Amino acid sequence: MSQINRIKGGLIDRSKTLNFTFNGKSMQGHAGDTLASALLANGQVLVGRSFKYHRPRGILTAGSEEPNALVQLRNGAAQEPNTRATVTELFNGLAATSQNHRGSLEFDLMAMTDLVSPFLAAGFYYKTFMWPAAFWEKFYEPIIRNSAGLGRLSMQEDPDTYDKGFLHCDLLVIGAGPSGLSAALAAARSGARVILADEDFAPGGRLNSETLDVDGMAGADWAAQTVAELATMDNVRLMTRTTIYGAFDHGVYGALERCTDHLPGSGGKPRQVLWRIYSKRAVLAAGATERPIAFGNNDRPGIMLASAVRTYVNRFGVTPGQKVAVLTNNDDGWRTASDLAAKGVEIAAIIDTRDRPAVCDVPGARHVRSAGVVDTAGRKALKRITLTDGQMIDVDCLAVSGGWNPAVHLTCHQQGRPVWNEKISAFVPGKDLPPGMVVAGAASGALTLAAALDEGRKAADSQVKDLGFTPSKQAVPKAQDEAYEGAPKWHIPSGKKRAWVDFQNDVTVKDIKLSHREGFKSVEHLKRYTTTGMATDQGKTSNMSALAIMAECTGKSIPETGTTIFRPPYTPVPIGALAGRARGQDFRPYRLTPSHEWATKHGATFVEVGNWLRAQWFVKGNEKGWRDSVDREVLNTRNSVGICDVTTLGKIDIQGKDAAEFLNKVYANAFAKLAVGRVRYGIMLREDGICYDDGTTARMSENHFVMTTTTANAVLVFRRMEFARQCLYPDMDVHMISTTDAWAQFAVAGPNARKLLSKIVDADSQDMSNEGFPFMACGEVTVCGGTPGRLFRISFSGELAYEIAVPARYGNSLMEALMKAGEEFGACPYGTEALGVMRIEKGHAAGNELDGRTTAHMLGMGGMVSKKKDCIGKTLSQRPEMNREDAEKLVGFRPVDRSKKLIAGSHFINKGDEATMANDQGWMTSVAWSPSLDHSVGLGFIKSGDTRMGEIVRAVSPVHDTEMEVEIVSAHFIDPEGERLRA
Amino acid sequence: MPDFTLTAAPPLAGYDRSFGDIKLSAPKDLAIVSIALPLGGEDAAKKAIKTAFGIALPEVGMSATTKADAEAIMRLGIDQAFVLFASATPDAERQIAAKLKGAAYTTDQTDAWCALEISGPGARRALERICPIDLHPDAFAVGAIARTVMEHMGSIIARTDEDTYLLLSASSSAKSFLHAVELSAKNVT
Amino acid sequence: MIINHPLLGPRDVAEFIYLGDACLIDRPDWEADDAAEKFHEYGYIRDNIAGPMQELWYHEQGDRSWLVVTRDTITHEITDVEMARDVARTRGRSK
Repeated sequence: MSQINRIKGGLIDRSKTLNFTFNGKSMQGHAGDTLASALLANGQVLVGRSFKYHRPRGILTAGSEEPNALVQLRNGAAQEPNTRATVTELFNGLAATSQNHRGSLEFDLMAMTDLVSPFLAAGFYYKTFMWPAAFWEKFYEPIIRNSAGLGRLSMQEDPDTYDKGFLHCDLLVIGAGPSGLSAALAAARSGARVILADEDFAPGGRLNSETLDVDGMAGADWAAQTVAELATMDNVRLMTRTTIYGAFDHGVYGALERCTDHLPGSGGKPRQVLWRIYSKRAVLAAGATERPIAFGNNDRPGIMLASAVRTYVNRFGVTPGQKVAVLTNNDDGWRTASDLAAKGVEIAAIIDTRDRPAVCDVPGARHVRSAGVVDTAGRKALKRITLTDGQMIDVDCLAVSGGWNPAVHLTCHQQGRPVWNEKISAFVPGKDLPPGMVVAGAASGALTLAAALDEGRKAADSQVKDLGFTPSKQAVPKAQDEAYEGAPKWHIPSGKKRAWVDFQNDVTVKDIKLSHREGFKSVEHLKRYTTTGMATDQGKTSNMSALAIMAECTGKSIPETGTTIFRPPYTPVPIGALAGRARGQDFRPYRLTPSHEWATKHGATFVEVGNWLRAQWFVKGNEKGWRDSVDREVLNTRNSVGICDVTTLGKIDIQGKDAAEFLNKVYANAFAKLAVGRVRYGIMLREDGICYDDGTTARMSENHFVMTTTTANAVLVFRRMEFARQCLYPDMDVHMISTTDAWAQFAVAGPNARKLLSKIVDADSQDMSNEGFPFMACGEVTVCGGTPGRLFRISFSGELAYEIAVPARYGNSLMEALMKAGEEFGACPYGTEALGVMRIEKGHAAGNELDGRTTAHMLGMGGMVSKKKDCIGKTLSQRPEMNREDAEKLVGFRPVDRSKKLIAGSHFINKGDEATMANDQGWMTSVAWSPSLDHSVGLGFIKSGDTRMGEIVRAVSPVHDTEMEVEIVSAHFIDPEGERLRA
Repeated sequence: MPDFTLTAAPPLAGYDRSFGDIKLSAPKDLAIVSIALPLGGEDAAKKAIKTAFGIALPEVGMSATTKADAEAIMRLGIDQAFVLFASATPDAERQIAAKLKGAAYTTDQTDAWCALEISGPGARRALERICPIDLHPDAFAVGAIARTVMEHMGSIIARTDEDTYLLLSASSSAKSFLHAVELSAKNVT
Repeated sequence: MIINHPLLGPRDVAEFIYLGDACLIDRPDWEADDAAEKFHEYGYIRDNIAGPMQELWYHEQGDRSWLVVTRDTITHEITDVEMARDVARTRGRSK
């Protein structure tokens, strides 16, 4: 098929022929075509099937408001459904297919739904598919999903990549039509930093579609010349193929730039970039959208908006038909007739709904006054129209103009409500615009070219002046004011013929009347009941008509009826673009411990702890399951020595004359009198008295402390301490900085820990004897011949243990050295599992116990909350209810049948009681298999637990449908007297 | 001789790669020491800084370099600054503490950060993809610094020359940070 | 959202952490007779303000300063941003 509808002129490059396919059929177009213009050039009028009734549909518009011409682009994984053919730039090799039909586009098997349409009126699914309820999920919904709908996903991973970015400007100009270009030029000449964004690939807006002159030259030429000037200016960023999709707080705008959608492939670069634009001011020059008129069978392929017909003829050199009629309620529609006639296209008739003389002379065209179209014929392409007086005219294209709606969308994104403008019978932006925004041109309701150029200029001048720039003195571009008067006509009574209002969601005038009859009269109800305006086009061509028809039904005026407001996005934004890079491994950053490389080489399995990757256990030899490894690591540590990378614990360097006093405020227990060279365990409370975090703090010198926090709370504790420092105790001299990443820190635990470390710590830097460096000592040391380090004698495992720290860059090397030094003792590395087992065996609380519900009293640490000083959480921790005698207390549990495994999360029920909430005694927080004891051990909270040692209760887990008898024991399963850690 | 010796392995050591008109490299032996100005002792601390380095403590959001670019001082906050200088030995904090003679609190931050220099005509184009700060030459002069967030990672950006920026981010996530910057460079070249 | 930091200029909200009503600066005296009641109010009772409100924001991905931001909860308009430390001092907090 050749380009039978291609005519002379247009802004396409005829020297570049592009091959593409539509439903497998080979076609040709030119550079500068959209898929829509190329399809029309090839005489392809039928492009899709409608959402609900599977009606044959053609192209309605020439822009992003398109409701009908949704197609699938590309093949395989790159297949993308629901793409508007009207904004798809043609490229060589483009493969497009129509969607929403079974069988071929021409013979859609689902088209029978159109025959049963009387049963599918608005709200049909609320009524028809009500009972039985169980049918909804299994029967109704799959059927509806299958028969209605749009395109199909490829069900494969998106092969493309996406990116995000940040841009800054003084003035953002949204839209590069006449007002936008005028604004951008003036602002740029004033010296302001300007971003000019337009969704089209060719800036110029309607100037490219009209035959109007600016400054004595063709509008399109003026646009090209202006763009060329802007392109030379350093302070201008010209962004074509970029949609400003949302206006957010404080001058932030969202923009979607389509970088490679117009190319056969992305070349490995991001297909689209989602920009966050920080603007000081903005000019909205988004133009206006023409609206259709509803009449009988107004959805046939070949019935188009009059402005779109002009676009195809003037910009793309394509005529949508060979014999065209125009239906209009305004002067602007007449220009379609005159422009087409000037190109030699036959105009059969101009049907004006108004009773007024011809606006201009159109050779060969009949002018029918005070008339309308009530019916059309032609199933897959328009053949004939029937006028109100019954006369029929054979045409293959009907251009419809119902007036223009200013594109107010972005003015509504911050609660702005548009206001009714009687003069143009349309909503225009209201007063409550997003701060910093000014609206210019057609978007503000100024519907002539001269006014658009002028408004754009004035908007820019006022905005840049506000910012301290001197407005440019150059003259405003000149143009004629063209005629645009009209009289509203929303729909033409067409008897029983269905008249479409929302093409994409198949909503007709009848549906709106039904909605009114059934009481859904408010616009918000109308929208939800009929689904008008809820499709991917968000009702750009339908909302206004639907509203006007509802106003007619209720007898109210349109402004009284109101309007729904618009939310972002202006046009659809792919999920891929919103996700940006955040896919797979790039979903979030990873933090690696200093010994990560060593651990990788030595059989570590890693676990994500927040953003950290920590060694969970190390597989050795033939170990088959994780338990084999973990049991060995525990026993090896308890019997000899084990090494664990504990760098992930938060470390905070605290200095200042008031540092000690400050620690007294943030810790529940006293720190002010901690001796230099000593470490103390501390608990932190929330202000409501609940335990928040725990850790140790070492006093390195009089005014210098090193705090450790739990891995999970490192950032939060720092934040809370800064709050205390700045907001509660602003005159304390205390300074904090995180050193978590600065120091590689290893726990060296087990009876041979001292012997091992004595080989690492330089003998002249520290006396390693028990007297010289006792339990809870700390100090600056040097290791391996002079590398500075820090040594802490603290123990999470319950063994004789140390934590040794060196600058992180030496961490991996120190791990190697420790293992080498430990060879003679059979030292092993251990991971977070063994760490967890040992702390449960020792009865140390961790995250499971500090879960945001537990108090120091419950943890058995009530006595630690100092009575003598204030601290965060002190007062509220003293509330009687939080200090009840029968509070759940942290104790240990072991199964009566030692072969059984305890289950974390089990709840305790007294023997003989029914397992109900009312009889709940507490819960199990942590369990582990103790290789040291050879049975399962658990920690948990149980009422008055500290006084119930030896009692047998039931641990019930309704989730697992199990229960077992457990004995209440001390939480310290290992070395309850603490002899090992002091050894 | 000790039985064991430790070797330093900073996370991005030796990294040096170009992407079109963008060059990425990890500075060698960059030591970082934080300085905190004591409350009530700010003037004395500023004086000590002037004496120690020969330059005044810059304003918040700016950095200053000493003669022959031996040291750079970044003022990160009202009472906090970083001193950056070349030092291969792990005693950076002691060097600075000795110079300041107790007039300010010092903490070694060398190993807390990874450093990456991005330079070339395309540097700003790449940074647009991850850095929310306005890097327009008029808005972010040579010497300007900002602490911000890039790809979820806390970072410091300093404009050290016309088309050269020094980036600092947490050393534990150095690989993710490098990946983020590399990808930005790849995406725009 | 943009917060105009008093020292650093306009910064994206992504750099900040929100805490809540700036009344959290006014921590009661633990030794007062009615300390329990006062701490209860401090901990749990908040005005639900529709309009300008003083809020605490933390510049976590920045200079680590706590700020008092006066923000209209209806329009999001920010009319004032102060260093919380200065505000705390003017409200009588010290050590």
